[in-house]
Amino acid sequence: MSGADRGMVRLALRITYAYRVSVLTTAGLLVVEVFLLRMIWTSVYGGQSSVDGFRLDALIVYLTLVNLQMFLMTTPLAAHIHSRVRTGVVFFDFVRPIGYPRQMLGIQAGTTLGQASLLLPAIPVAFLAGAISAPADAVAALAYVVSLILGYGIAVLLALLLGMAAFWTIEINGITLFYRFVSQFFAGTMIPLTFFPGPLRTLADLLPFRFLGYVPAAIYVGVLDQAEIPRTLATQAVWMVVLAGLFGLTWRRAQRRLVVQGG
Amino acid sequence: MLVTARGALGSLLVIHARGLRKVFRRPRRVEGRFGALRTLLSREQVETVAVQDVSFDIEAGELVGYLGPNGAGKSTTVKMLTGVLTPTSGELTVRGLVPWRDRTSNARSIGVVFGQRTQLWWDLPLIESLRLIGALYDVPQAEFGRSLGRMRDLLGLDPFLDTPVRQLSLGQRMRGDLAAAMLYHPIILYLDEPTVGLDVLAKAAVRDFIAETNRAGRTTVLLTTHDLDDVTALCRRIILIDHGRVLFDGTIDRLIASYGAERHVIVTLAEPGDASVSAGSYAGQRMEDGRHRFTLGAQEGVPALLAALGASHTIRDLTVTEPDLEDVIKRIYAG
Repeated sequence: MSGADRGMVRLALRITYAYRVSVLTTAGLLVVEVFLLRMIWTSVYGGQSSVDGFRLDALIVYLTLVNLQMFLMTTPLAAHIHSRVRTGVVFFDFVRPIGYPRQMLGIQAGTTLGQASLLLPAIPVAFLAGAISAPADAVAALAYVVSLILGYGIAVLLALLLGMAAFWTIEINGITLFYRFVSQFFAGTMIPLTFFPGPLRTLADLLPFRFLGYVPAAIYVGVLDQAEIPRTLATQAVWMVVLAGLFGLTWRRAQRRLVVQGG
Repeated sequence: MLVTARGALGSLLVIHARGLRKVFRRPRRVEGRFGALRTLLSREQVETVAVQDVSFDIEAGELVGYLGPNGAGKSTTVKMLTGVLTPTSGELTVRGLVPWRDRTSNARSIGVVFGQRTQLWWDLPLIESLRLIGALYDVPQAEFGRSLGRMRDLLGLDPFLDTPVRQLSLGQRMRGDLAAAMLYHPIILYLDEPTVGLDVLAKAAVRDFIAETNRAGRTTVLLTTHDLDDVTALCRRIILIDHGRVLFDGTIDRLIASYGAERHVIVTLAEPGDASVSAGSYAGQRMEDGRHRFTLGAQEGVPALLAALGASHTIRDLTVTEPDLEDVIKRIYAG
């Protein structure tokens, strides 16, 4: 990591702190959402301690964890690329001595650092409130970390690919809204994939979004069969490699496509 | 480091452009029902030739005005010089590098300022953007301090160094942008309308900074502007383009001379006379204040007019207005 990379990270960190009120508001809404989900699911369970092998206490931890993860995987990249392409200031990103993808990764890292540091005080509170408990066992803990890192990589690559669309269409607000809805739903932020009916579950398994939310959280609470873990992590790694390759191809074409807006 | 040498005195060629051409292709927009979708699927393309055929050489230390009407292809040329756009055809090297192929290496030796948009980060204090630029261009800490100190003096940055960029006035923002572009001592500075929208004092500050940069650091400057006062104050050489072609390349004096600009002779006659006064082959029109104006071509002399006019009228007073850059440019743009 060079001084240039550190510069980008620090910049994104400063911007995140400049917008800390909005970050904290989002975090606050997240707490409300988890609270509401907890109420709803407790009522759905109606006194049963376990449904389809998913215990209620594990489900509550799952819901907290999934929503926390999705918050941390929030990426500014698609919106960032879009706004800079639309206004033409992307020009300046293209005349920097470090490449554009590297700048974007710096921005991503800085934003995540900023968001994580703002969210940190909430973690002990969640533990105290019983919304998070320790992972199922040591294997689950280790696999959770690996799965979370891979999931983060997948989230960033998907956001970069979404941002690349701006080089072709200029306007990506519609796609972004659609993406947000689909990714949240299929990541299992409100309903764990365990409860998805047959065809919907098949679709969810075909999409990469489960790796951002459901998969790591299900490993953590021990809902995912431990025998399945190696294969799941391998699939996750393959997804990451494929998306990275796809991004490489798209980026090469995007550079040629670039039309800098305005005189 | 690749540099192309030229000339016995060791003058260095910094920019070399030959037959530069840029054509933009866009899908043809389909009107009517589901127009957007049909546009997306359409294979038909519309071509716009932004730069037709541009050639020029610029040597180290020059300060060149790159002029032309709106849509002439100036900004497209600058974007090709910076490596952001790939030329459709033609040859282009900047300090021996092909900008679009070696974009990041080329980036280290150039600074860019656009009057219409900023490279500063909107939400952060100016100093944060400058720090980021120092980091991006690997400026060592001590050198960054010295360079920033110089910019603070030259551009008077101190009062707003800690102000978020979105709160800066246009003049302050432009000074911030100039500092950002020169902080890492680039060899070439591209300025695209740096004085647009600025008041008289801010314009003067920007001009002084450009002149100083070119003089002290021997930075080569390519200046695009519509402000002809910028040009007369700063440029020893101008390149004039229109419809993506070079119309003229040389000094301002030569431009005025070679475009045969007109001179005006305004005379006050003893007797008010008619709306139109003729003397020999000359004809003068009466202006609102009662004086008469004669227009002379480049080859016509004032004494001949005065001799002809003096034969039939009594001349009380006269003034001669020399052609200026604005007249010439207006005539060229009007085609």
